[in-house]
Amino acid sequence: MIVANELRKQFSVRGNTLVAVGGISFQVGNSEVYGLLGPNGAGKTTTLRMVMGLIEPDSGWVEIGGVRTDTNRTAIRHQLGMISTNDGVYPWLSVREMLMYFADLYAVDPPVAQERLEELSDLLSIRSFLDQRCSTLSTGQKQRVTLARGLMHDPPVMLLDEPTRGLDVVGSQTVFEFIELLKSRGKSVLLSTHRLDEAERVCDRFGLLHHGTMRYEGTLGDLRQQTGKMHLVDMFIELIRES
Amino acid sequence: MIGSYFANGRLLRLCLKELRESLRDRRTLITLVLMPILVYPLLSMAMQRLIVGSASGSSDRSEYIIGVANEDAGGVLASAIAETSMAIEQGVRHSIQIRRNNQSLAKQPATIQDAIAGASEKDSADESNQTLGGSKAQFNIVVTDGITLQSALESGQIDLAVISARAESVAVRGNGFYPAYEFEVEFRDADVRSENAMLEFRKAMELVNDAQALRFRGPLPVSVRMVSTATGKKVDAMASLAGILPLILILMTITGAVYPAIDLTAGERERGTMEAMIATPAPRFLLLLSKYVAVVTVAVLTALANLFASWITLSIGGLGRALLGEKGFSLLALVQILPLLVIFAAFFSAILLAMCSFARSFKEAQAYLIPVMLVSLAPALVTLMPNIEFSTLLGIVPLVNILLLSRDIMTGSPQALPAFAAVFSTLLYAAAALVVASKLFGAESATSGSQETWSDLLRRPKRTQLLPDLGDLAVFLAMLFPVFFIVTNLFGQTQMSIGAKLWSNAGMLLVLFFVAPSIVAWYRRLNPQTTFLLRSWTGNLPQVRQRVVRGVGVLLSVCFMAAGLWIVAFEFLQLLKDYGFGLLALEQPEVLEKAKKEFALIPFWIILVTSAIVPAFAEEYFFRGYVLSAFRNRVSSLRAILYSALIFGLFHVITGSMLSLERFFPSTLLGLFLGFVAIRTGSLWPGVLLHAIHNGLVFWLTRFSTKELSDWFGSTNEHFPPIWIFASLASVTLGSALLYFITQRRFYENAT
Repeated sequence: MIVANELRKQFSVRGNTLVAVGGISFQVGNSEVYGLLGPNGAGKTTTLRMVMGLIEPDSGWVEIGGVRTDTNRTAIRHQLGMISTNDGVYPWLSVREMLMYFADLYAVDPPVAQERLEELSDLLSIRSFLDQRCSTLSTGQKQRVTLARGLMHDPPVMLLDEPTRGLDVVGSQTVFEFIELLKSRGKSVLLSTHRLDEAERVCDRFGLLHHGTMRYEGTLGDLRQQTGKMHLVDMFIELIRES
Repeated sequence: MIGSYFANGRLLRLCLKELRESLRDRRTLITLVLMPILVYPLLSMAMQRLIVGSASGSSDRSEYIIGVANEDAGGVLASAIAETSMAIEQGVRHSIQIRRNNQSLAKQPATIQDAIAGASEKDSADESNQTLGGSKAQFNIVVTDGITLQSALESGQIDLAVISARAESVAVRGNGFYPAYEFEVEFRDADVRSENAMLEFRKAMELVNDAQALRFRGPLPVSVRMVSTATGKKVDAMASLAGILPLILILMTITGAVYPAIDLTAGERERGTMEAMIATPAPRFLLLLSKYVAVVTVAVLTALANLFASWITLSIGGLGRALLGEKGFSLLALVQILPLLVIFAAFFSAILLAMCSFARSFKEAQAYLIPVMLVSLAPALVTLMPNIEFSTLLGIVPLVNILLLSRDIMTGSPQALPAFAAVFSTLLYAAAALVVASKLFGAESATSGSQETWSDLLRRPKRTQLLPDLGDLAVFLAMLFPVFFIVTNLFGQTQMSIGAKLWSNAGMLLVLFFVAPSIVAWYRRLNPQTTFLLRSWTGNLPQVRQRVVRGVGVLLSVCFMAAGLWIVAFEFLQLLKDYGFGLLALEQPEVLEKAKKEFALIPFWIILVTSAIVPAFAEEYFFRGYVLSAFRNRVSSLRAILYSALIFGLFHVITGSMLSLERFFPSTLLGLFLGFVAIRTGSLWPGVLLHAIHNGLVFWLTRFSTKELSDWFGSTNEHFPPIWIFASLASVTLGSALLYFITQRRFYENAT
């Protein structure tokens, strides 16, 4: 369960103030996939980072599982998983070593981590290259390793930042299946993407961001009602035209 | 929560991951294995050529300058050298030819004749030339005017110094009187040129012996006594090569650390693993620590590989002896230099990590590092200069101190105070750099879009802080120690009156231990009551009566402790002395007595203020205020007391321009008790009182002579009588116990 309330963040770039996020609120329930959508520069990543606790909001707050993130950041991080496009792998470690390393970073007990590794190697079909160095993996294999890495500590909340960027159809399909898997396990998923067609497929609810503010929010049905358009793409084009 | 990262060997596994990552990388292995295997043999070949080149040059055309103190000695020397030529004339050729297979002897008799003729003409001249038969070794005799023979020899103006030259007429079996020469010659130790001059001179004199043996059928030996200058100063170009080896070792250690440092920080960012790592609940300091351990390990491995390779190269080739003197590169020197390299690796790895922590890519990190390396190389090259001495002040210059100390260890003459300063300051710098690194590490990814990483370090907090940050303390100590060291040294060397010294010392203590931490505390918005314990020692007890009982009780117990502690501390020192841990001051009784006499002329109130009250306040303010509080911020009270006492002890090792290592133990002991008092009472003042009484007692006793004191205490040796020791131990125990009970809240609950 994620609750974001009036998140606001501005950066100063060479003396100019840039409002990245200007008061955004939303909620993501358990077993729900929430799509944070918007063109580049809409404030998606900044919002995710604030939820993550990587940057502090200027005002507003985030609750994860009923606990404010600014009260106990360390405890909150145990509840969160994050996977983003830019995520890499350690070229000189084997897949197993890398996953066990992240289990250690999340203070997961080694026997528990071992069990989870077994489970994930089947779910994400990484077993065949578990003991291979990461530098020898293909892009798709690396992607699956990254997805497994996000689940090593079995967090109730998962943040996905543009998870399909740069992936082919097969790679994207793996991600969709992964999201289905998360959903089936009762996790709250916050997904940021600019691939609206994909979002339509996997998200239960949407928040359309533009210039750091939330323009439309709700299920696909709600949005269709509000905008009178059938598809997210059309809604967006309208949004951009307005500004 | 953080504790779970230390459980189940997790920290070890985190370090192992970093190590795996860097050791599996081929580029690390190249610097680690390949470089030492290649560098030292190549280097030794180059050196061999250099040495062979210079050596063959010297045997071809050697002109040695022999210094004499006066013209008489010059005359004796000239006639002795002239006899070498006569010896050649009189048929000692045979023996010469055995001695050296030399064709020039037969070919150029005329030259020798001429030389002798020339010599005899100007026998009392300031300078005379003699060509030694059989070789072209030439000795120029110089009377050193103005400077002593020793300094001329040390500065390299002359190659040999004839300290005394005597020619005694000895009757030889009816053949009349002939001179028997006796020379005392000094040469520079471990200096190839001077040693060669010595060898040539001795050969020349042996030639005279042979000639006399032929003439008189009996030896009439020329006695040559050799003295080497054992000053340990290396003045010639050859010996300064001893400075190259540490420089190479250090450079290789740096090279070993650079790659993993970049790879584990900027590299991690470039590969896109940094953010996932920072997003985990693992504390950043721990992440950095594991990287630091890995970098230091690789650096130390590189150092080991290089040390070993250089040791083998130097031992096998005989190059070691040419560079470092008779003993060559001894195993002992190797064992001593290794920890130095470890300390240096610890220091430089921290610097590297701090530099790389905010680089976003490999390229950027390299761009930061190259200027740093070049800048640090400049002073490093200074250490190659032949006349540079490892002075006390250079002891606190990073990099240079380790280089000079290694050089001195290799040539076998390290000194205690600079060595201590080098090791201690380098460790402090390492800690400070590590703190800075941990604050910079991962900061960029958190504040994406803004470049406030450096200013974050110095940001003034918005709210009042109860206790100082431990990282701040490390940085503060790293800045305070060099200043403290320099100022204490200057006081030790300047020719001030004792009174002026006392006042300026007190002033320094106030500035460094009171004013400086106060400024830091103001800037960081530290609560003075909780940080410096500037509050009453009566506690927050509800009733006036209770406060009075606690207040008086604390003062009483502190007095008990003070009454006994100085004797305990003194006996501690004496015990150390008995077990061979020398007391410098007592080994020089005349210096001590003189200081005592001067001391006695100073009014006692001045001593009391400058040496008891001011130090007590300033040191308590800093060590039990700032230092202890910073530790309390992170560790348990017990550990905080221990750590702050150790730092207190280390600072007391430096006295004037001397290093009194033995003072570490009693000072640390005192620090433990003072920490205990501060923690129990929650106030600075009882500790100040204890400290002041302790210092006051010690200085009061210096006003009496040793004899007076031993009469007083009924002691026959340098120890207190057992009854005194027992009484003081009892007094300290009683005081501590009383303090313990009287500061317990329960004590008052039961009483009322």
